[in-house]
Amino acid sequence: MAKKNLLTETLNETLLNRRSFLKWSSALGGTAALTGGVNVGLKAVDKTAPASEDKTLTVSCYHNCGGRCVLGAVVKEGTVSRIVADPSKETKPDDPPRAIPCLRGRSQTRRVYAPDRLKYPLKRVGKRGEGKFERISWDEALDTIAGEMKRIKKQYGNESFYFHYASGTQWKGPDGRPPIRRLMRLFGGYTDYYNTYSTACYRAVMPYITGGSGNSANDVLNSNLIVLFGDNSVVNRNGGDNFGCYLLDAKKKGVKIISVDPMLTDTAVATEAEWIPIYPGTDVALIAALSHVIVEEDLYDKQFMKTHAVGFDEDTLPPDALRNSSWIAYIKGNADGVEKTPQWAEKITGIPANRIIQLARQIATSKPVAMFQGWGWQRRAYGEQPVRALPVLAAMTGNFGIKGGGPGMRPSGKRFPMGSMPLPPNPVKGRIPVFLWPDFITRGTEMTDGPRDRVKDVKRIKANMKFMWNHGGNTIINQHSDINLTKKILEDDSKLEFIVVVDNNMTPSAKFADILLPETTSFEIESLLTGEGHTEKGTVAWAIFNHKLIEPLYESKEIYWMCDQLANRLGIGDQFRDGHKNKKEWLLDMVAEARKKIPDFPSYEEFRKMGVYKIKDDKPTIAFENFVKDPKKYPLSTPTGKIEVYSPHLASQNDPKEIPAIPKYIPEWEGVSDPLRKKFPLLMVTAHAVQRSHSTFDNVDYLQEAHPQAFWINPLDAGKRGIKNGDQIKVFNDRGEVHLPAFVTNRVRPGVTNMPQGAWYTPDAKGIDTRGSANVLTKYYPTPFAKGNPQHTNLVQVEKI
Amino acid sequence: MTRQYAFHVDISKCTGCKTCQVACKDKNNLPSGIRWRRVFQYEGGEWIEKDGQMIPSNVFAYFVSSACMHCEKPICEQVCPTKATYKREDGIVLIDQDRCIGCRYCSWACPYGAPQFNPEINAMSKCTFCYDLIEKGESPACVDSCPFRAVDFGPLEEIRAKFGTFSSPAPLPKPDITHPAIVYTPNGSTKSSGDVSGQLKNIEEV
Amino acid sequence: MSIRELALVVFTILTQMTVGSFLVLGVVHFYTVRKKGMEAADRLSDRALLALVPILALAMLVSLLHLGNPLKAPLAVSNVASSWLSREILFTVIFGCCAALFVLLQYRKIGSFQVRNKIAWIAGLAGLALVYCMSRVYMIPTQPAWNSMATPISFYTTTLLLGSLAMGVAFIVNYSIESRKDTGCATDQCDVLFGALRGIAVVSIVLLGVEFVVQPVYLGYLATTSAATQASASHIVQDFSSVFILRLLLVFLGAGVFGAFLYKNTASDGSEAQVKYLGYGAFSLVLVAEVLGRFLFYFSEFRIGV
Repeated sequence: MAKKNLLTETLNETLLNRRSFLKWSSALGGTAALTGGVNVGLKAVDKTAPASEDKTLTVSCYHNCGGRCVLGAVVKEGTVSRIVADPSKETKPDDPPRAIPCLRGRSQTRRVYAPDRLKYPLKRVGKRGEGKFERISWDEALDTIAGEMKRIKKQYGNESFYFHYASGTQWKGPDGRPPIRRLMRLFGGYTDYYNTYSTACYRAVMPYITGGSGNSANDVLNSNLIVLFGDNSVVNRNGGDNFGCYLLDAKKKGVKIISVDPMLTDTAVATEAEWIPIYPGTDVALIAALSHVIVEEDLYDKQFMKTHAVGFDEDTLPPDALRNSSWIAYIKGNADGVEKTPQWAEKITGIPANRIIQLARQIATSKPVAMFQGWGWQRRAYGEQPVRALPVLAAMTGNFGIKGGGPGMRPSGKRFPMGSMPLPPNPVKGRIPVFLWPDFITRGTEMTDGPRDRVKDVKRIKANMKFMWNHGGNTIINQHSDINLTKKILEDDSKLEFIVVVDNNMTPSAKFADILLPETTSFEIESLLTGEGHTEKGTVAWAIFNHKLIEPLYESKEIYWMCDQLANRLGIGDQFRDGHKNKKEWLLDMVAEARKKIPDFPSYEEFRKMGVYKIKDDKPTIAFENFVKDPKKYPLSTPTGKIEVYSPHLASQNDPKEIPAIPKYIPEWEGVSDPLRKKFPLLMVTAHAVQRSHSTFDNVDYLQEAHPQAFWINPLDAGKRGIKNGDQIKVFNDRGEVHLPAFVTNRVRPGVTNMPQGAWYTPDAKGIDTRGSANVLTKYYPTPFAKGNPQHTNLVQVEKI
Repeated sequence: MTRQYAFHVDISKCTGCKTCQVACKDKNNLPSGIRWRRVFQYEGGEWIEKDGQMIPSNVFAYFVSSACMHCEKPICEQVCPTKATYKREDGIVLIDQDRCIGCRYCSWACPYGAPQFNPEINAMSKCTFCYDLIEKGESPACVDSCPFRAVDFGPLEEIRAKFGTFSSPAPLPKPDITHPAIVYTPNGSTKSSGDVSGQLKNIEEV
Repeated sequence: MSIRELALVVFTILTQMTVGSFLVLGVVHFYTVRKKGMEAADRLSDRALLALVPILALAMLVSLLHLGNPLKAPLAVSNVASSWLSREILFTVIFGCCAALFVLLQYRKIGSFQVRNKIAWIAGLAGLALVYCMSRVYMIPTQPAWNSMATPISFYTTTLLLGSLAMGVAFIVNYSIESRKDTGCATDQCDVLFGALRGIAVVSIVLLGVEFVVQPVYLGYLATTSAATQASASHIVQDFSSVFILRLLLVFLGAGVFGAFLYKNTASDGSEAQVKYLGYGAFSLVLVAEVLGRFLFYFSEFRIGV
């Protein structure tokens, strides 16, 4: 035993460095006997590869980054010596752009061999969340889980089970999220969720404005002017084939770009966009004022708005709508007596009225104009509003459904028709809005389909959450709002009785597990992925064959194996496998599915050799092109079939203040006009950071070194507080306190700050976060309609330490 | 064989993501603290009050990816007491780590911060232009890594013929000391060496 | 400040002090021979000479601490053609060897005076060249704070100032030993000692003058030349102002005030005890001042570029 521990400790240290890791991996081959049969799994694989000959095999990034890049792993003597880019070529002008991985993909090796890698199944021994664990065997781990599942099912029913939202693992099929779902549905079901932490408001209101996303990403090359509203695509869609690349191509082609954003984003810097700095949360006021100018100056497409839209003016309102409830009435102030003039908007947005007038004219007269929204503006207190407002501007300026224009949504892209692992129906019907999962713990049985909780598919949830599965996610603590509050809820193990976490690194969420299971990474499995990401990739899509490069490290296992083992223990093994002998047979099914849709698609073994298979359309997709030509024949998927400036469905919610039928500027709590600013004067957004995919990769040394976590603050705000660039500061509000370095920069509007989201919550003895974990400061308060997460709406104060 | 290899970096395509830096570290297996390629953020301008609103005045920012410049007159080679630093016939400046005594004199001299002490081997280390890859007909790791295709390389004459001769965006030093083998394509806000309207902003560099 | 930079401070200070001491010894010896004869001169200086070798050896050993790989240190003389660092090491070795050889011959009185004299001259010139090379090591175009005439001037000032005062201390110690051994010669030796110390006091005051002229001029140069030198200047004047002031104060006290008293006490019939403490005091104060000054020198490093 002593030897075992010594070996483990030595390994922990040596693993910090890949070079010594490689040394160890070869040395261990001969010392297996010495270790008493501990399978540390370090031996090289791919024995077919002749020694010392480099071989490049495709693997994939599989995180929630908005991309799906193709990585080549150079395998030398059975270990990964380095990562190279997508091996496909861009030689002909119409070759699809290579999916060149960004810095995160390039650092995969440091993540696989990270010191934080989970090595063995662990069982909690301390207080929940404390991070004290004891190593146990796989048998003990699986027996415990199966036992708890049976107990909880008997005691509380299947409704008390919950499979939590997580985005850290994006595999298709048996390596991704389906196995646990499949297992749990065969076991009698679980309470499910709807929404994501990315797009709750966007997805919730899209059906009530356009019914779909915009033109394909490569259509920006046909634009005359691109206006980005809170869109930082070179960061949020990094990777060599994503929307960020197309924006840069458009700039090179001479397309003018404007960025409306509280920050001078990397996208604005790289595309040399003209920056219009705006106070966060005030976009609808800007859009209303832009409309006001355009209407006043008669620069809009009256005819189009009559035939294609509902409620733009009084004439096109539904018969049951109130008088003066149209968009025109709103901007003219007919109902509320406030005319939405540029002067009115200036006071709210901080943008000079002259600039608003000028921007309105630019947009109205530069057709085709492509307007895009980022998702940041909908992760706010009233995130539903801007999502619906921008398409109104796009429509009235005649850019809806035309080449080089677009409906003011996110761009769309092509999908790859690969199969997945089929799921039986979930016998439990209720679905909660994902952001409200802590309420499911504390007051699940009070949650209804009413306006407070907006539960779906049932009237009322029948149980409180007692058992949680968290697979490849950091949302049970790090990525959910108000960490200090969540922590209190989770620490009470009399409420939520059992948490199983499956992950490959010791994340802050993993520390809240009762049983913690170590999962393999992309280097350790053979699997399939499709090149879609968020499909903002123009007109190309692909499938990637993910080669197994090394044997699973330590005792890490595939999720399919874990579920298969649990199914046996629960007596549902045969149903779970459904005639499949192993995981590979599920992958073969997926390939068969793809071959049905694409006759040319290779067989599994051919695909292994090819690594990547790309498909491509010749022309950019123009969203709603047919609808523009003939709205009767090709209606939108909205309830009225038209552009719903006025949404009858939203009107029927009977909450005109917070869920208006037309998009409106609603002053936010903790927004620019909240009196709380006397105490906490700075608005804080929590934007994406390029060094992380949400919280994934935060523990990777190369990335920490490249982009240290830092707090964006304007020199005027910093100067008042005696803060210099790089100084250690404290950021706080009533919910918590965070310590991190200041990035004093003109690139953020005075009064506005940014703590990039995703840094791993690392509290000190006093509970102060020491790493810059933004959600210590964010508020757990859902948006009115979507019940989305308002994690960009925060007020804070800052002091030098 | 070329007489002088050179990098080309297109500032107008650079998003500051540092994939080049990470790819370099991955390929060369560099420990923490050693960054053969670095990306500088240069920022300037100010916020002023106009008609009651705060507005940005000449606020600009851009990124400069920089590694060893494999200079035509490498000062590191000149000052090295052991001749560990040498320039190859193809212009690539290398450090013979068996000869290097780790006196760090080259790091005092090089205005690009290229030579960096590697405590793992007790010797100086620097960008090798991935000569091993070039010799195999491949591109250096950084060139091949850029998602936005902003980094390129080739013989200096060819690179200059294609992209011009601009070699000194701020915050880099003036080229007259070492004659760097580098060409930058500026973007609209790129300033030249010696500019005082902006500052180097990366917090890991201050 | 890391151990490496500390090593550089110790190496440069001790080396310069050794070179200075050797030169001062030569001069003092030369004049004493003329005034009091060879025997008196040797009695004054031989013991002091003996102290130099271990100090230089120590300096060279400490310099190895600065290296990542000290075992390969001999390679450092490979690039005499273009590297001032190689030249510095080369002259350190030449000076060290010649000085050691001279000390050996002189102490054992091996060989003729002429031969020894020639070796001493070579060692002395090598020492001067060493200090020059040492200053040139720092005079690189990418280090504007160092790349000025202030570097050689201050290095030579340190060399002579520390060399003089160190030898003053050595003479005093030597005198104590001599006078204990042989009380008969005390008066004669006392004259020689007082004469030497008087000369040293004068040199110190003159060099203090040099430092007090060079420092403001140098700061002025830093403040006006370029952004890089301005950064160095503000580093010295703002971040390390207390060290800077302390250093000036100490050197003024040591070389100026103590020097003046030393001069006064050795010119008249001052008390031996007073002279002794003045000599020790002056050296200690100036040594601390010069070490602080050298720290400041390294702290003022500001390489242009990135």
